[in-house]
Amino acid sequence: MNKRAAYSLTACVTIFFAVFFLYPAVIVLKEAFYSSEDGFTLSFVGEVFKNPVYTEGLWNAFALGISSTLASLLIAFPLALVGHRYLFPFKKSLSALVLIPLVLPPFVGAVGVKQILGIQGALNAFLVKLGLMDPTLPMDWLGDGRFWGVVIMNALHLYPILYMNIAASLSNIDPAMEQAAQNLGCPPWRRLMRITLPLTTPGIFAGGAIVFIWSFTELGVPLVFDFTRVAPVQVYDGIKDLGDNPFPYALVAIMLVVSTLVFIISKAVLGRSKLGTAPRPKGKNVEVRPKRGRAWLCTLFFFLVFFVASLPHAGVVVLSLAHDWYSTVLPEVWTTEHYREALGHPLVVPSIQNSLFYASAATLVDLILGVAIAWVIVRSTIRGRAFLDALVMLPLAVPGLVLAFGYLALSQKGETFYFLVQGATQNPTWLLVVAYAVRRLPYVVRSAVAGLQQSNLALEEAARSLGATPARTLRRVSLPLLGANLIAGGILAFAFAMLEVSDSLILAQQSEHFPITKAIYSLLGMLGNGYELASALGVWAMVFLGISIIGAVVLGGKKGGLFRM
Amino acid sequence: MEEIRAAGITKQFGDVTALNNVSLEIAPGELFFLLGGSGCGKTTLLRCIAGLEAPTKGKIFFGERDVTALPTHKREAAMVFQSYALWPHMTVGQNIAFGLEERKVDKKDIQCRVEEALAMVKLEGFAKRGLDQMSGGQQQRVSLARALVVRPKCLLLDEPLSNLDAQLRLEMRSEIRRIVKENDLTGVYVTHDQAEALSMADRMAVMDQGVVVQVGPPEEIYRQPVSSYVAGFIGETNLLKGTANENNLVNTATATLTATPSVTDWDPAPGVEVILSIRPEAVKIVNSTQADLSGKIIERIYLGSIIQYTVELGDGSVMQVTEQNPKIIRSPGEELVGLQFSGQDVTLLAR
Repeated sequence: MNKRAAYSLTACVTIFFAVFFLYPAVIVLKEAFYSSEDGFTLSFVGEVFKNPVYTEGLWNAFALGISSTLASLLIAFPLALVGHRYLFPFKKSLSALVLIPLVLPPFVGAVGVKQILGIQGALNAFLVKLGLMDPTLPMDWLGDGRFWGVVIMNALHLYPILYMNIAASLSNIDPAMEQAAQNLGCPPWRRLMRITLPLTTPGIFAGGAIVFIWSFTELGVPLVFDFTRVAPVQVYDGIKDLGDNPFPYALVAIMLVVSTLVFIISKAVLGRSKLGTAPRPKGKNVEVRPKRGRAWLCTLFFFLVFFVASLPHAGVVVLSLAHDWYSTVLPEVWTTEHYREALGHPLVVPSIQNSLFYASAATLVDLILGVAIAWVIVRSTIRGRAFLDALVMLPLAVPGLVLAFGYLALSQKGETFYFLVQGATQNPTWLLVVAYAVRRLPYVVRSAVAGLQQSNLALEEAARSLGATPARTLRRVSLPLLGANLIAGGILAFAFAMLEVSDSLILAQQSEHFPITKAIYSLLGMLGNGYELASALGVWAMVFLGISIIGAVVLGGKKGGLFRM
Repeated sequence: MEEIRAAGITKQFGDVTALNNVSLEIAPGELFFLLGGSGCGKTTLLRCIAGLEAPTKGKIFFGERDVTALPTHKREAAMVFQSYALWPHMTVGQNIAFGLEERKVDKKDIQCRVEEALAMVKLEGFAKRGLDQMSGGQQQRVSLARALVVRPKCLLLDEPLSNLDAQLRLEMRSEIRRIVKENDLTGVYVTHDQAEALSMADRMAVMDQGVVVQVGPPEEIYRQPVSSYVAGFIGETNLLKGTANENNLVNTATATLTATPSVTDWDPAPGVEVILSIRPEAVKIVNSTQADLSGKIIERIYLGSIIQYTVELGDGSVMQVTEQNPKIIRSPGEELVGLQFSGQDVTLLAR
C-alpha cells in the first residue's frame, strides 16, 4: 500500500515536472538548435558567437556572475566564520538581520544604489560637502556601463545564500579537526587556509553555484541600471520580435548550458568531498566569548554588513519620501505625497492584488507538492527516491529566464499551453502561478524533508497501530509536527514569488495582469515622478516581505537547510 | 620521555568548576590513566596538559619547564582525539605529513618519516589511500601515526578506543601500550572504561567531580580503594554499612566482621559509622551456616567460566557472589547458605 502510494506520487510529480519544467526547457533548446529548413542546426548558436554584441553580452553576464559570486563570498565567509566562532552581544538578532537582504527586492534596491552612488548621488554630494571632492569633477562610482553597480547590488542581495551554506558547513566540522592542527604546530592563519577553508568547500560550492547562476541570469538589476550589454537584457529586448528571431532562444540556450555545467561541477565537487566518512564529532563547537572590546567588534562587523546591505533599500525609502533628491546628501523637502499618489495610480492597486493572488496560489501548490515529495523521499523505500530528490532540486540550477522563455513560446497561439492563458485573452494568471510554483518548489521540499527527518517515524506508526488511516495520520500527526518547517518554507516561497522578476516581466503582457515587480518596472520607465512612485510601491512590497522573512526565520529554526542543493 | 606535573590546577567554565585544585605527578615513561565517570573533569585535565585549554589557576610542568603559558605545539605533547579528527580532504599520507610540514621538515625526510610512522602502526603502504577506504580501526592507527610522526615526548590520548567495536578495542589496547613503551613516551590516557585502565595502566588517577580521589597502580586501586566511590567505580563490589568496634572489628546488621582499613594509619574509634567493601569474587558460598555471613540465594546467573549468585542477608540487604570455574551449581531457594571470606578482603572505608 505504502509503495503504491509512493510510486503514484512519484509518477504524478515526475509528470508535472516533465510538462512544466523539462518541456519548456526542451522547447527553448529546440528553438535554438532547430530550423524548419535544415532540421538540427548549430548555425543560430554560431551566429550568436559571431555577433560581437551578443558575445559581449554573454561575456558581461559571465563576468557579472563571477564577480558577484566572489564579492558575495568576501562578505559571507568572514561573516559565517565570526558567527561560528564567537559569542558577542546581540548575536541572535544580528544573525537573523543579516539574512534579510535576501528577500529585499534587488531591482528595487538598484534604484537606491543609483541614488547613492550615481554621479549626482548622495555619496558624491557628501564628499563635496566634506570638501574632499571637486563638484565639477564628480566620481563615477558605478563604472562605465554600470557593471559594478550590478555587482554591488547582486552581492548585497545574494551573500545570505553563501552565508547560510558556509555556516552549515562550519557547524558540521568536528572542532577537534582544528585542534589537531593546532596541536601539530599550525598557526591560526594557516589553519584557516589548510583545514577550515577546505572543509568548508561543500558549503562554498553549494551556495556559490546558486549565487553564480542567479547573478549570471539576473534580469531585473541590469535593467534598472540600463546595463543593456548583458545577455539577459538582450534576451528580454529580443522578445518583441520573437516570431521570426531565433537568436534570443540561442542566447537562452547558451545560458542554460552554462548554468547546468556550473551546477554539475558543483555537484561533482560536493560528491567528491568525503566528509561523511569520519565518525560523528562528539565535541560540540564551543563559541568563544572574546574580551569585551573584541566582542563588540564582532557585533559592529555584523551590524555593518547588515547596514551596508540594506543601504540601497534605505535609499529607496528616502527617495519615496523625497520631494526631490538630486545632488544632495539627503533630500531637502520631505513629503508623503508619493504614497498617496501611488495608491491612486491605475497600475498599483491591481498589481498588489495580482501579486498576492499569484504568490498565494503558487505557495499553495508548492505546499501540497512539497509535503507529498518529502514524504516519498524520507518515509518511503522505493527506488526512485534519489531521482525524485534530484529532480525537484533542478529548478535551482535552471535560470528563471529559460523557463519564462519556454512558457512564452508554449503559450503562443496553437501551442501546448495556449489553454493556460485562456486563449485569446492572454491572461497569464495560471501560467504565472505554475511558473512561480515550479521555481520555488525546492525551498518547500527542503524544509519539509528537514521536518520529516527530525520527526520520529514511530510517532506515525503509533497512530497507524491505533487504527488511523494514512490520510488521517498525515492530518492529525505528521502535518502538525511539520507545521513550523512548512510555514518557514512556505513563507520563503511566497516571498520569492512576490519578488519574481523574469517570469513576471516576460509573461505578463497587459497592464491589468501586471504583478508588483512589473508594475514597479513600468513606473520606473515613466517620465516625471515615476522613480518616486516606484519607490513608494517598492517600500510597500518591502514592508510586506520584511514581515514574511522574520516569520520564516523565527519559525524556521534550521536556516542552513533551505538553500542546500 | 618527560615528567608531567600538574600543580593546583583549577578550571572554571563560567560558574561550573570542572577541575578543583588538582595536583598530579606523572613519571617519565609512564602510561598514566585518568579514569572517571562523564563530567568528572578527566578530559578537561588532559586538555589543560595538552594546552588546548588554559587553567584558571595552577601550573603545568613538563620536566623542569613551566609550560602553563606555552602554546600547544611547543609542548612536544601530541594529542590523539576521540573522534580521530583526521582531515577528510587529505590522504592518509598527507594527514601524517601535516605536522612535519608545519615543522618545516625537509621534503625527503618527510616521506621517510611518514613511512616509518605507518610501519609503527602496522599500516605500511597505506599512504596514498583516502580516509574513506580505511576502516574505523585503521583510522585509529592513522591518528596515532599522525601524533607519533612529530616525535613527541608525551602522547595524550582522549578516549581513543571508544569508537571501536569490542574485539578491536581489545586488540588496540596492547598496541597502544606497545607504541608508548617502544617510543619512550610519557602517555596520558583518558577513559571511562575501567577494564581498559586496569589492563593497560602503569598507574592511574580516579577522578570524581573535578577532584582526584585516588592515585596508584591498578592493583592498589582495585584492592585498596580509598572510598566507596572508587570501590564501586573500579570493578564490582558489595558495600555493607556498619559501626566500628575495637581492633578493626565492625558490627553490621547481621554479624561482626574483621576488616582491613583502606588507609594504613586509619583506625576508626568505636562507634564511628563506616562502610565495608567486599569484592564478589572474594566470597565463597559454603553449606554450613556457621560462616561470616549467611543468607539465601535469590538469583543465579550462569556464565560458563563463572557463576554469579545474588544472596539476600537476614536484614534484607543483598550481596553479589561470583565463583570461578564452578563445580556445584546451587539453585535459588529458601535454604540458608553461608558466605565465607578473609578479613583481608574486607576493606574498611569511611562513610
